[in-house]
Amino acid sequence: MFAAIALLFVSAAGIDVSADTYDAANSWWRPGDQRLMPASADYEDALGRIRIVNAGGSFATKDHAFFTPLGTNGRACVSCHQPSNAMGLSVETIRRRWEETGGKDPLFSPVDGSNCPNLPQAVRSSHSLLLDRGLIRVALPWPPQSADGSLIQPEFTIEVIRDPTGCNTDPVYGLNAKKPYISVYRRPRPVANLKYLLELPHGVPPSDFLFYNDKSLLPRNPETGGFATLQLMSDGRDLTPRIQARDAARNHLQSNAPLSDKQLAQIESFETQVYAAQAFDKVGGELTGAGAPPGLGPEALEKGAPARLGNNPINRIFGSFAMWQSPQSSEAGADANRALMFRESAARGADIFYLRRFIINDVGKYNDKGLGNPFKRSCGSGCHNTLLMGMDLAPGYMDLGLNNLPWANERPDLPLFKIVCNSNASPQSYLGRVIYTYDPARALITGKCADVGASMTQQSRGLAARAPYFMNGSAANLRELVDFYDRRFNIGYSEAEKVDLVNFLSVL
Amino acid sequence: MSRDFLMAALLFAAAAALAADPSPGTAVSFLACPVARDTGPDTDLCFFAEHDGHRYALVNPPDWGGPQLKHRVLVEGRVKEGPAICGAIALEGRASVIAEIDASCNVVLPFDGVIKGVAGGVFNSGTQEQRAFAQDLARRAALDPSVSVEPAIANPASAPAPTPPFEHRTLVITYPFDSDRGSGPDMVKLKDVVTFIKVANAKSVQVVGFRASSRLSDGSELIERQQIAEDRAKKIASILSGLGVDERLVHVSWDPHAIDGNGDGDWRNRKVEITVEP
Repeated sequence: MFAAIALLFVSAAGIDVSADTYDAANSWWRPGDQRLMPASADYEDALGRIRIVNAGGSFATKDHAFFTPLGTNGRACVSCHQPSNAMGLSVETIRRRWEETGGKDPLFSPVDGSNCPNLPQAVRSSHSLLLDRGLIRVALPWPPQSADGSLIQPEFTIEVIRDPTGCNTDPVYGLNAKKPYISVYRRPRPVANLKYLLELPHGVPPSDFLFYNDKSLLPRNPETGGFATLQLMSDGRDLTPRIQARDAARNHLQSNAPLSDKQLAQIESFETQVYAAQAFDKVGGELTGAGAPPGLGPEALEKGAPARLGNNPINRIFGSFAMWQSPQSSEAGADANRALMFRESAARGADIFYLRRFIINDVGKYNDKGLGNPFKRSCGSGCHNTLLMGMDLAPGYMDLGLNNLPWANERPDLPLFKIVCNSNASPQSYLGRVIYTYDPARALITGKCADVGASMTQQSRGLAARAPYFMNGSAANLRELVDFYDRRFNIGYSEAEKVDLVNFLSVL
Repeated sequence: MSRDFLMAALLFAAAAALAADPSPGTAVSFLACPVARDTGPDTDLCFFAEHDGHRYALVNPPDWGGPQLKHRVLVEGRVKEGPAICGAIALEGRASVIAEIDASCNVVLPFDGVIKGVAGGVFNSGTQEQRAFAQDLARRAALDPSVSVEPAIANPASAPAPTPPFEHRTLVITYPFDSDRGSGPDMVKLKDVVTFIKVANAKSVQVVGFRASSRLSDGSELIERQQIAEDRAKKIASILSGLGVDERLVHVSWDPHAIDGNGDGDWRNRKVEITVEP
């Protein structure tokens, strides 16, 4: 098996390697494989190579909790957090596993690797959301429960309007079951660069102890007693890697026993020292080293200071791309020219991301958190302002329009819910008290009307290795991601600008 | 009608309009739709609202809450001397977003090339020394992505650590209409109060929440919801507790009766008073 895996391990010092050394088809990390997790490794992806830096140094994965099946269905953490997919999981990888295993891989476990456990598991259609959009079923209790298990009285009722998976109307798994659950379908988030997600913002008081949104206290990290960021999960339900690991072991790995302290420590230790970023582009060439923008590659993430505000247009979120604006090449030939043109395009895309302002309007939990509606910012100075990472620095959620109608892309494959809020509840600021949504998101945790559809912004690194994008996978590729924003905010990007933005995002 | 007469009439009308502008110090209080105005490709939008044939600029202190289209705004202030802001009369006061949706409030004026915003934000504010520091930091940040410009941002600085003798201290936090969201700068002041409570080994902390009514210029009255005084007081108490203040020291109360407004600065009555006895 090891001979078949054509990974090339690159030393921390960096060994010059050629692109054809890598083999995406054989890069799958199977739970329980006894391998070496190297200090640094590159993996081929659709647009080049993703690099994973394991800052703690190489180690054998034998019996390591992150790589070992911990439950009854044969999955491990690594099942959905593959190094070759920037510690996330691409739909391309999922499809390959389906084809290679005839759908028998534990990834396709009925519990959440199918549209609903009640479906015939041998057929593709029962796993269509995973295979087509990379979505894992997330079953959340209704009404919501707080961390101590007590019930939260929701401010709204929820009705299933459309149920293409059948799970929300199922008598065992659905909303009317003896133990009611709501099934929503979400992408696994990458487990890399976590120090940026787990540290509270510096220099943006009082966001070091309060939600920016409503100026209520942030929750406490039960392990340290300090305030927690809520950046880890899209709905903020698990505050720390340890809590998330317990949750995932129980619900995704179907573990019958709680994880031991040693297992939790192993998982936390690994997850908080692994970095992922694109390192090579098939057209643009090497993305790190001399002459490359200083914010690219995982090494920049490893050495960077977390939780800093990149306050565009002065401070560049991913560093300057000026060296690519008028690049010089000592090489000749068509490939070298294409590389130069790609780099110039990516640099223009960086400028658009950093500087091009547009009107941001009607974003629930964003425009109404004090900023004003509308608000005029660029991508970088608006919602993607964390230095080197590109998520929103001040902990907060927003309804960008990914989940709620009328802004969300039409998704007949997803359940559609009707939310009716109590008359005395604060309304969702721009949709009111009757909301149609594919995923109530944060509101399934808090029970608040104003939170319906709101989710935490994601990091923007390693994108090329982990399509599709957005929490419900509604953008199959980076172009669709750019098109969504262009439509949602009526920005009016030209075709050339869209290409530049895609090239920029692809090198992150 | 001669051209000269027409010109004179227009000039008179313009002068009359100017003369009709409310004089500095005039109190206004009204509900209206905010209007957003684009101020150029590199700057943010600004807001104004119209009332009795005049345009009033809507400017709040930092993080107090910007006006929102799709919602009406309660404007309470006094006309301020000085140049127009956003092409409108400057006010000293507050603009509160009304929570319920009003879809008719949805006008964005395009950039007219005349009323321009100021680009650069925090890097154009502060002392010359602060600006030089910020610009140097920005230069370094352009080359090294791990350098942040945060130190240059004019965040409200915490007060110096309190020293004896410790005296009775009061902090008043004001709120937008029907809201319990305090501004960032006020929350920083609250954190300073927590430091004072701990350093001074305070004997008691009184937290009192209030609700209020606003008297509008047309004589009508706008009253906050019944629960808001309690919500405000409890939220402040929870923050104090969360920041480590002994709950036994904190006495929380609220006044369920709305403080009557008189149409002149009624926003000051929407408040929480925190009183510390050392």
